[in-house]
Amino acid sequence: MASDPAAGIAGTWRRKDKARGNSAVLRMDRDGVASVTDPESGDSLAAAPAGRVAISDRVGSIPRRIEFADAGTFETPDNDAIDRLFYGAGIHRRGFVHELERFRPRLVLVVVAVVALCFAVYRYALPVLVEVAVAVTPPVVPELMSQSVLASLDGSVFAPSELAAERQSSISRGFDELKALSPRGLDGYTLHFRKGGIIGPNAFALPDGTVVLTDELAEMTDDDEMILGVLGHEIGHVDLDHSLRQLYRAAGVTALIMMIGGDIGSGTEDLLVQGTGLLALSHSRTAEREADRKSVELMYRAGKDPAAIARFFELLRDRLNDTGTSDFFSTHPATPERIEETRRYAEEVMNAPDCCKPE
Amino acid sequence: MDEIAAAEEAAKPAQPASYRLKREPFTFTGTTREYFGIWIVNILLTILTLGIYSAWAKVRRQRYFYGNTWLAGANFEYHARPVQILIGRIIVVGFLVAYNIALQFLPLVGGLIGVAFLFLIPFFVSRGLRFNARVTSYRNVRFDFTGKYGGAFLAYLLGGALVYGSAGILAPLASQWMWNYSLGNLKYGGRPIKCEPRLEKLYGQWWLPATILVIGWIVIIVVLVGLAVTFSDTLSALFSFEPDSPQEDYSSEQDMPSPTTILILIYGILIPFFILYAVAGLLYRAGTRNVALKETVIDGRHALDSQIHRGRYAWIAISNLLATLFTLGLLRPWAAIRMAKYMASVTALDATSSLEEYFGGIQQEGAAVGSEYMDVEGFDLGF
Repeated sequence: MASDPAAGIAGTWRRKDKARGNSAVLRMDRDGVASVTDPESGDSLAAAPAGRVAISDRVGSIPRRIEFADAGTFETPDNDAIDRLFYGAGIHRRGFVHELERFRPRLVLVVVAVVALCFAVYRYALPVLVEVAVAVTPPVVPELMSQSVLASLDGSVFAPSELAAERQSSISRGFDELKALSPRGLDGYTLHFRKGGIIGPNAFALPDGTVVLTDELAEMTDDDEMILGVLGHEIGHVDLDHSLRQLYRAAGVTALIMMIGGDIGSGTEDLLVQGTGLLALSHSRTAEREADRKSVELMYRAGKDPAAIARFFELLRDRLNDTGTSDFFSTHPATPERIEETRRYAEEVMNAPDCCKPE
Repeated sequence: MDEIAAAEEAAKPAQPASYRLKREPFTFTGTTREYFGIWIVNILLTILTLGIYSAWAKVRRQRYFYGNTWLAGANFEYHARPVQILIGRIIVVGFLVAYNIALQFLPLVGGLIGVAFLFLIPFFVSRGLRFNARVTSYRNVRFDFTGKYGGAFLAYLLGGALVYGSAGILAPLASQWMWNYSLGNLKYGGRPIKCEPRLEKLYGQWWLPATILVIGWIVIIVVLVGLAVTFSDTLSALFSFEPDSPQEDYSSEQDMPSPTTILILIYGILIPFFILYAVAGLLYRAGTRNVALKETVIDGRHALDSQIHRGRYAWIAISNLLATLFTLGLLRPWAAIRMAKYMASVTALDATSSLEEYFGGIQQEGAAVGSEYMDVEGFDLGF
């Protein structure tokens, strides 16, 4: 392509809204007025101060569009000549993004930066965003969520508790002692007894402080302390906002993948979303360990056996013969591992009583 | 190119002399070298800006692909402004987040929103198609899309329900509605585009994937049953769970299958089905695109043509995905360019009159360049 300034830049001229194209030449005079002329007749087709024309961003080597507001558009594949003409005159800024995109050795640095950033976002930025989201969530949101979950479980799998009234009240008394020592206080947690049905022996916490204990779990042992160890674990989940965190985390990861979805293709996007589902399980294991430690601390501060939850896990192990090891796909750490860890931590708490002394 | 030349030779004698078709092939001039830079910088800036740049990234990507697609000496252009796309994305992401939270913790309300969303889909589809059409130009003239809610409801909701409800037997009917709606409502410079794929032609493309599906199902089930019988001892050992069994020399794996074993079994069964459906889907999609484009007439005088070789298309799509996965995404630009080149090379326009003359009379019509655009991700339907 000719790029001699006097000869001008060759291209195609189309009047505003018209499909017809005519060959044309773009020039710029000393006063900085850009003009398009018909090369054969020499007639002027459009002219405007260079600062008033709109130049499309350079992307690869697709043709450039130079728009003259109401007159029409000049197109040319000669990107370099356009850059020289306008950037040389200092009228338009050179495209920073396009410079970065050029196939040069430094692109390797961009690749390295992308890999490092993907890791950093997942490892550091996402957790920060999750914390912010948890902090700004108004309390009414977890309340609504929890009421709705309990209502739908009551309507489907749960039945009213058949646990003896004396047993219920002795567990409730112990639970009140734990509540009194927890950050949300006496009104911050409510204990519900239910017959678990297909859910079987189980206890779980909802984000507003609702803790549900199934008859099947309570009937596993006569020892209220062991049950309280489990309830302490559930209080730990509430205090650490685990359900909200996991929810925000999953939403954040999916949103991030969607952002680059167009750049990676829909097939790869689907596989990535599936893959992060597996990674979420490892976060769930971490959350369980944290809640176990909370139980140990809380029981100790209540003047009860800090290893009560460890004893409960031992019961589980002996009853269900659960000696498997945890792996990549587990939502909870393996029982033997939890027994060992909670026993160890209970020892630690008892021998270094300053850490969480009863207040 | 040989295919096109051959097809051109085949097509010529069928036409009366006074009705000579001039074949104009589509070409794609993008290169992996150029696109790699655009792609990696897109991802870099998207991550650095926590997703905000993704709107700018989309515009650069689309401009690159449209700008490198040529027909009769002129290229297509993409004019969306990043801010429009950003707003569309914020709406969609916000909605998805709210919906997922609702579904997690308020299953009833979430379910209701889900049903409401179902009825919003046709609206999103029609607006998304309109947005895409209006930000696309060829020779300085924008496309427009005139499809309404009703048509999208029929083509996408009813059509989708029909496909699932009939186990795929009525899929060609849904394809007919879908193509008729998405391509048949396009306008170029106020001129209509008609797309009326005949049902029998669509069924002609349905047999092969349908047969593959049936045979695939039979083969997979026979193999699975065979495996289950052969390894029945191992399997029964895996799943015999006796809580009261004495703890002698039994290893834990024999008492209870580990979650890993169960997951591997589940995925082992699902993956063959996934591959089967992916292959059948690719063959069907390529076949119906051929039919639909061949029955598309622009302004009553120019015809589109599509000559995808179904096996080749499926091969490109699958090998692209594998190449992308095994290079941790780095070959994605190569894969995208490869697919775009292939799709352009099998697409052509058969013009009945001189195109230069024809375009001389074309101009922008109506208020196609409005500002109430709405880009909806996921509804970018290929044309």
